Amino acid sequence: MTQLVLGQVLNGAIVGSMYGIIALGITLTFGITGIVNFALGEFMMIGAYATFALAERGGLPYPVAVVPAACIAAAAGYLCNKAFFRFTRGNLVNGLLVSIGLISVFESAVLWYWSATPIEMHYVLPGAIRLGDVTLPKMKLLVFAVIVVVIVLTYVGLARTWLGRASFAYAQNAEAATLMGVHTERLVTAVMLYSTGLAGLGGALYASLYSLEPALGGVYVLKGMEAAILGGIGSLMGSLWGGVILGVIEAVGSIFLPTAFRDAYGLVVLVAILLFRPSGLFGDET
Amino acid sequence: MIARAIFWGALALLPLMVKTDFVLTIFIYAFIFGILGVTFDLVFGFTGQLSMFHPAVFGVSAYMTHLLVVNAKLPFWLATLPAAATAVVLSIVVGGICFKFRLKTFYFAVVTLAFSEMARLIVMNWNSVTNGTLGLVVSGKPTIWWPGAGVVAIKGPVAWYYLTLVWLAATVFVCARVLRSWMGRAFGAIRLNEDLARTLGINVFRYKLVSFALGSALASFAGGLYGYYTGYIDPGYLGINQSMEVLAMVLLGGQGTLTGPIVGSLVLTGLPHVIDLRAEARAILYGAILIFTILVMPRGIVGTLRAWRARRAA
Amino acid sequence: MLLEARNLTKRFLGLVAVSDVSFSVDAGEIVGVIGPNGSGKTTLLSMMAGMLPPSDGAVVWKGEEIQRLRTDVIAARGLVKTFQNPQVFAELSVVDNVLVASHLAFKHALGTRRALDLVGLEHRADLRLAERVREVLALCNLADATDQLAGNLSYGEEKMLGVAMALMCEPEMLLLDEPASGLGREEIENLTSVLRRVHAAGTTLCLVDHKIGFLRGLAERVIALNYGRKIAEGTPEKVLVDPAVVEAYLGRAHA
Repeated sequence: MTQLVLGQVLNGAIVGSMYGIIALGITLTFGITGIVNFALGEFMMIGAYATFALAERGGLPYPVAVVPAACIAAAAGYLCNKAFFRFTRGNLVNGLLVSIGLISVFESAVLWYWSATPIEMHYVLPGAIRLGDVTLPKMKLLVFAVIVVVIVLTYVGLARTWLGRASFAYAQNAEAATLMGVHTERLVTAVMLYSTGLAGLGGALYASLYSLEPALGGVYVLKGMEAAILGGIGSLMGSLWGGVILGVIEAVGSIFLPTAFRDAYGLVVLVAILLFRPSGLFGDET
Repeated sequence: MIARAIFWGALALLPLMVKTDFVLTIFIYAFIFGILGVTFDLVFGFTGQLSMFHPAVFGVSAYMTHLLVVNAKLPFWLATLPAAATAVVLSIVVGGICFKFRLKTFYFAVVTLAFSEMARLIVMNWNSVTNGTLGLVVSGKPTIWWPGAGVVAIKGPVAWYYLTLVWLAATVFVCARVLRSWMGRAFGAIRLNEDLARTLGINVFRYKLVSFALGSALASFAGGLYGYYTGYIDPGYLGINQSMEVLAMVLLGGQGTLTGPIVGSLVLTGLPHVIDLRAEARAILYGAILIFTILVMPRGIVGTLRAWRARRAA
Repeated sequence: MLLEARNLTKRFLGLVAVSDVSFSVDAGEIVGVIGPNGSGKTTLLSMMAGMLPPSDGAVVWKGEEIQRLRTDVIAARGLVKTFQNPQVFAELSVVDNVLVASHLAFKHALGTRRALDLVGLEHRADLRLAERVREVLALCNLADATDQLAGNLSYGEEKMLGVAMALMCEPEMLLLDEPASGLGREEIENLTSVLRRVHAAGTTLCLVDHKIGFLRGLAERVIALNYGRKIAEGTPEKVLVDPAVVEAYLGRAHA
């Protein structure tokens, strides 16, 4: 029994790390720029499909395909910011509606070109590792490691550098930040580029493990949002913790309770936390 | 005033001028979604609460109405009442929790979304009652008493057109009455500045709850009508897509107005069909319209028209 | 005794804003609270209106402790406060602002019968309400501005609107937080006459301000604060020559 639980916990943590990288994108965007990018899942989808195209059709080896795929997603993010998102700063409802529109556009475009039939990449890293009685595919562990490293690097990068301090200054008071010489337009662009690039990376990693369909963006953005809120919007490491916790709750919940309600377990915990600690587990108490 | 008269008058006379079933069908769908939109706007545009719980109410009442007709042998109209009562109870529970904890806009939306998803999962898995993802087939028809003809079943586009139009008008009427009263003023105050409203003696918790429950009760009828019109009910009714569509409709047409959601519903339901494109292209167009509206016309169609008219009068 | 402050204390982290202040206001009085900036006047008033929970002590309104009650409940019981920075609904017109403020008055007048307003049947109440709104606006010299957006008013007009909205709640007692601050001489005269008329009509007043001249003209009794403590109490003439008060305002040399 414990082996089952342990196995599920580990699996849940790995899935949760993918929620986490989306959560990081959401928390960075909303926390620093005040923009609600509910379409972040679409950039993940773009990254996933781009990886597929580059690796399967373009013949690039998988590790080489990942970076350009993430860049494509980031480029798309840049365009969307330039054209739409930057005008929705601070306006939750507008950001939501722009996101809805973009979701419709992206999902339909991909649906048009690739159809709804799930597509799969061939095995990137076959084989598994045994930890006691628990078997974990090597690729999953690699994905987990990459995501954790990326999130930690982001945290360190922001916490210790000038860019990070500028970002948080901007988040607190945009006008004051401008007066102190922070290039706010560039900052917003940078955040949008990075967060969508992260999502694209998440998608590229996703492509190595699961089959792709155009609707995957919708699922992951919801989970990412849950994870971001759970961890506390504005807390970078919180997005990783939130994602992992969410993944684990869903996995463990499915052992003892019906699997059909898997999504609900995370939701129940989320609601409970929000009611008693509105800023999430690691967020700032405002 | 005149604009409104023309609007409703045109809608009332439309079936006399348009004979194609296809066009009438679009209007019927638009009216039903219009009811959803207007009731959503009551809570969102007028009271300032961004609730994602509307589709849950819509779906649950669709199921309940049908199940009561089939299992309890109630006539359609009688079955809608317990469905409405359930909607009220659900929204009091969900609203009570959210408003008691004074959740701010973003978190309120998230928590209501969470509750809506939970409702959807329950509906989707309660196979014995709801038939799960397979959904339920509705074969009955609502009946009304018509002078001269006795009890008549609502059949055919024209009958459905007028039924849904009348119901939409009734919903708008009720909302308008409430909004014009002291209650409506309280809603508006809550939307603009909750804390100030409190210092003036307005029980913010209570009125948020009333607005939420009223919106849900009125929306529940849309669920019943929709189920009976399309002849099919499935858990997708409670999905987040529904929430997005209602939000889009209200924002496109104009939040904070009663005709706005109707206009938005007409445009979003009708436009994709007017332009003959394949489904994916239509969805892309839909997305483009939404983005365009919010960036260029944040007040929505009706809101922008009114502002333009006010500026010309000044 | 209508309103009583009992040993009110407020601590903010390390700072003690109000320290063990007690006084009372009887029905029909006009009581003033003076003190230099930072003496804790606004904090004291906020506690008395139930908007700020005290660290220690109690606020008693008509014999009942109210410091833990909700703001709207306190307002419904007849105790209403205005704000130093006028709080109005900027997006609504002046008359709409006052109409929103009529919520309590409507409730008092009709009780549960106000449900009839929902179906449009309470015409008489509607008319009386409209008249009362006109009265209040005229009283506050805002009759010419009824259709203007509250956001477009001048500062002085906004303050008067705040007073009008508070009056519309039909309070037994009005707490005014620095009503004269930011007003010109003519506006202060106007405000003084409005407050006198309101008092004459039966409303008890308690005002906080640091403009001594303004308070002296209105208040029958004055309480002086300094650094959160009560340092003097009595008629305006007595308090204003009290050495502790003079020292608080002007420094030791003048005492």
